[in-house]
Amino acid sequence: MALLELDAVSKIFSQRRGGRAVQAVAGVSLAVGRGETLGLVGESGCGKSTLARLALKLVDVTDGRVRFDGVDVTGFASRRMLPIRRRLQAVFQDPLASLNARMTIAEVMREPFDTHGLKLGAGLEPRIRELLSFVGLENIDIQKLPGQFSGGQLQRIAIARALALEPEIIVADEPTSALDPSIQAQIVNLMLQIQRKRGISYLIISHDLDVIGHVADRIAVMYLGTIIEQGTADEIMQRPLHPYTQALLSAAPTLAARRQVGWKRIMLTGDPPNPADVPSGCRFHPRCHLARDICREKVPPLRAMPGTGQMVACHLAPEETARAGGEVGRARRGLAVAS
Amino acid sequence: MSISTQPARRTIARPKGVLLPLALLVLVILAAFTLLPGLIAPHDPIALAMADRLKPPSLTHIFGTDEGGRDVFSRIVYGTRYSLGVAIAIVFASALFGVIYGAVSGMARQGIDNLMMRIVDLFFGFPALVLALAVAASIGRGLDSVALSLAIIWWPGYARLVRGEVLRLRERPHVEAARALGVSEMTILRRHIIPFVVQEVNVRITTDIGYALVAVTALSFLGLGANSPTPEWGLLIRDSRPYFGSAWWYLVFPGTMIMLTATAFSLIGDALASRRAA
Amino acid sequence: MILSVRDFAIGFQREGQNLVAVDGISFDVEAGETFVIIGESGSGKSLTGMSIAGLQPPTAFVSGSIRFKDREMLKRPDAELRKLRGPEIGLIYQDPLSSLNPVWPVGDQIAETLVAHGLAGRAEARKRAVEMLERVRIPDPRRVASAYPHEISGGMRQRAMIAMALAAGPSLLIADEPTTALDVTIKAQMLELLAELKHEMALTIILITHDMGVVAEVADRILVLYAGRIAEVGPADSIMLQPSHPYTAALMTSAMISQTPAKQELNAIVGGAPGLGAFPAGCRFHPRCPRAQNDCKAVEPPRRKFGVVELACHHPIEAAMSLTAARS
Repeated sequence: MALLELDAVSKIFSQRRGGRAVQAVAGVSLAVGRGETLGLVGESGCGKSTLARLALKLVDVTDGRVRFDGVDVTGFASRRMLPIRRRLQAVFQDPLASLNARMTIAEVMREPFDTHGLKLGAGLEPRIRELLSFVGLENIDIQKLPGQFSGGQLQRIAIARALALEPEIIVADEPTSALDPSIQAQIVNLMLQIQRKRGISYLIISHDLDVIGHVADRIAVMYLGTIIEQGTADEIMQRPLHPYTQALLSAAPTLAARRQVGWKRIMLTGDPPNPADVPSGCRFHPRCHLARDICREKVPPLRAMPGTGQMVACHLAPEETARAGGEVGRARRGLAVAS
Repeated sequence: MSISTQPARRTIARPKGVLLPLALLVLVILAAFTLLPGLIAPHDPIALAMADRLKPPSLTHIFGTDEGGRDVFSRIVYGTRYSLGVAIAIVFASALFGVIYGAVSGMARQGIDNLMMRIVDLFFGFPALVLALAVAASIGRGLDSVALSLAIIWWPGYARLVRGEVLRLRERPHVEAARALGVSEMTILRRHIIPFVVQEVNVRITTDIGYALVAVTALSFLGLGANSPTPEWGLLIRDSRPYFGSAWWYLVFPGTMIMLTATAFSLIGDALASRRAA
Repeated sequence: MILSVRDFAIGFQREGQNLVAVDGISFDVEAGETFVIIGESGSGKSLTGMSIAGLQPPTAFVSGSIRFKDREMLKRPDAELRKLRGPEIGLIYQDPLSSLNPVWPVGDQIAETLVAHGLAGRAEARKRAVEMLERVRIPDPRRVASAYPHEISGGMRQRAMIAMALAAGPSLLIADEPTTALDVTIKAQMLELLAELKHEMALTIILITHDMGVVAEVADRILVLYAGRIAEVGPADSIMLQPSHPYTAALMTSAMISQTPAKQELNAIVGGAPGLGAFPAGCRFHPRCPRAQNDCKAVEPPRRKFGVVELACHHPIEAAMSLTAARS
């Protein structure tokens, strides 16, 4: 049984001044198993952060169900959610903004214990020290305010706070995106190390394919509120079958790409789509170089590819997309492209 | 290290350098006037001394005397309690009510929030002078009716400010993080929202005291506030009008006092605001 | 050589202390190249870039020399610098809204730069503004020219900003984190556009970024800044593929994720970059450096030639041990 399960969830935001309703998430199903890392990739405005907040029950779904360890928590009020929250924790993008600037690190760290009525008494400070040293912050002054630490240190503190309740899963929304490059690698390493030691599950949301490809077991790609491709990390990174995933992978230049002679990226035309104005048929068709009549008319279902667990929502996959997918994957790994 | 200590071009002098200490000095003087008028004022502010009528500034009466021979300086010193005291009372009462109202509105469901804000709009639109006239008509002229009418039109500003801040802060990542941790809404309000709102409100209160002082003295000047012989500053100006041609000091010193006080509070408010921004 | 920077330093006075942000750096930029300045927050990369255009913060102390086409930029009056920005130096930023005026149609703003520099009359300038918008591949440039910045999409705004920066025909384009806030697919479009414009308009580009993917894509030569000092400078290929300075090598790790087997520990450096006023003695990188020895703590490494690059390191990585060599 999956630990965290989103079953056909949708979220519609109605705007205040008579503006159009925006469907940020449109019928997404995802499941994160025990000890598993699910990576969710997408560009800004695709609904991935809303999906994270739905999974964390920070906003309520408009439609669909949210299950935690088999229990339907969709309608749970905050009091009933409390015991679930102990097992389901969060890490956010901007570590400075996600900590209360007027609380000392000691206060920040004791908040989870207070909230869940865990009385450690004199054992509290040693426990906080232990958590902080677990995330690599051995000798910091816990009487200082967040503003006195660096971004990397603060993200470690945020992770330590999330670990305080010994959760079974952490939902991390862009955990490395606000950090300097040399710090990103540290946080990636820390998250991997936590998983090895504690067998924790992750739902990691990011626009950074490099990070997702490195840490995830499975990857789901989101476009305009829907999942357009899903599969194991190897499948997605080595042989993406949806033209959008291929464009995403080939658009992010890598060091390996520098060495590729004759490698041509798949260039998307046009702007990222507007969730308030969803195209007909396949949502990606206005930017797709393969688009034809059927794509404009019929919504492609997310369907399993023959012989693998890879799921793709494209009328033309895998027949017309497999070759390009293989090339993108090879180019990314710095291997010669066959042509 | 090869750094020159000559500033680069376009160095802008910081204007706050001298002004802020001056504003603080004015504040100290005002505090002394309010708390210890008996020690500072050389003369009785109320007792008439017709022999000394409308004397220009001199060593005995540094701000001159009024039409009843009373020392203008002493009247200003004693008047601080009324003018500034009422202004402070108005602002604090408005802030207290407005903060509670705004916080409730900001945390409430959308329907309740909307209703509460429409009520605020109602008060916002109300002209101060008309309200003051109405209040004066029903409970009588006096500083208490001035205070009441100004407080009635003043609190919605705080309610709006606080509601806006609460709504903004509710979306802040640290509040979302607290919610994800399971912290209850009451605790979130108390621990993660109010401390930041208070910062904003403090700035507003400081600046508002100056404005409220101007409003109080204006209403008194129009004859809706303090009654003679209360040495309220606006009333001093009102009483001085017939004598302006012959006794300039009677008008100029109370007027300057109002201006200095309002400016000082405004400057200190700015300084607080910029320190919070930094 | 289009730009020559010598012993450039910039700092601030805070609470009576002189805090030096960039501490005596020297480099040259050749005409026609894409010169990338890499650094993390606090390295001084943006301050350096802005100073080249004469836009350093007014409260800063500066010293040294920045010569652009044989003009000294650091001791030039404001009015003259303003004459250079536009016809000689174009600037683009991370946020297009910081250079576009919200209450003015886009086309008029572009035309205004031409009129202000006396390069065209009103009518002519307007025509050239539309041409410029076309040049940055904006479909329907006439419509966009009469639109206000908020009426066009983010990608269009980015393009309009580039059109404005290039309208007066500068030879040098300074781009400060131009792609940082963009999504990958839009980022790819921007990089392609810049590459094409560079070719068409014979531009020299100074790109300031911490995005190693972007660097990999466009750089001819790279300057690596760390805590206000130059760590390494040289041709892009050797810096990226055979970094000699341990800091550069660590930075490249982030661009090497796709070559590290999944779920394996990345080769990360410890700690974080030091803040302004807290730069360590000796080599500024030594507290985080896996190769640091006693001399690194005591003696600041002088800049020296090392193969095809110049670097400041007592114990650089030999080519044979570098990333690529180790992997192939």
